[in-house]
Amino acid sequence: MEIIERLSAGDPEKKKYYIRLFLDTLEPELANLKTADISVDQEPIRAILHKLKSQVQTIGAREAHAMMAEQEHHIKGGGRIDQAQLDETCRQLSDLIGDLQELLK
Amino acid sequence: MSKHLKVALVDDDIPNTEVLRDFLIRNGYSHVDKYHDGESFLESLDRFDERAVVLDFDLSGGGELNGLEVLEAIKERSPNMHVVFFSGQDSLEVAVESLKNGADDYIVKSNAAFALVKTSLDKVYDIQVLKLSERRNQRISWIMAIGWMATIAGVALYFAGK
Repeated sequence: MEIIERLSAGDPEKKKYYIRLFLDTLEPELANLKTADISVDQEPIRAILHKLKSQVQTIGAREAHAMMAEQEHHIKGGGRIDQAQLDETCRQLSDLIGDLQELLK
Repeated sequence: MSKHLKVALVDDDIPNTEVLRDFLIRNGYSHVDKYHDGESFLESLDRFDERAVVLDFDLSGGGELNGLEVLEAIKERSPNMHVVFFSGQDSLEVAVESLKNGADDYIVKSNAAFALVKTSLDKVYDIQVLKLSERRNQRISWIMAIGWMATIAGVALYFAGK
């Protein structure tokens, strides 16, 4: 959140605007990840992870970013992630979304 | 201080592009355009375009072209345009390929990435200012040379008339 804090420079409305911008992407992509079928081609999952990892990094969620980057790299290299790994990503993303929604209140 | 370098951001990541744009504006870049796919950016391009471009590699959320394909088209249409590759791909292959194809810089998206993009654009801006100043100095030198020649010719005519 450091960059968002810095850019919004104490303006609560600006900060909310940035948070909503991120939520607009994170929420639908979390829904996509939750319904993703890991038994078939995992390229769509990789694409979602790629898209989300830059955003969670900007928000400052380092652990979630590292996990997504590792999973993306694994799939890109021809590997597959299992359901437990995907569930953990969804859990972390869900927590992050919860934190952002809290900041909007 | 406002920097007179126009910047185009080409990235399908809408929130990050918005944040980066605000970051650059806050750091003196008053003219920053956004494009969420390579196709719409290329449509806006002309031969005399003097913008610097910050270009993402994976543009699959926006259009058909990837960053390398957009880079190729930029270099065909506007070969002097400065291109900063800004990518979530920490792949050496993509980095080498982009630099080989004319990108001026390659920045991997990271915590410090926005500051690195600014530093890269600052360099482009400094070069542009230097070129402008060189052009201005050249013009002044020409004017002075013409002035001297006219003076010498005037003096020569004066003595020839005597």
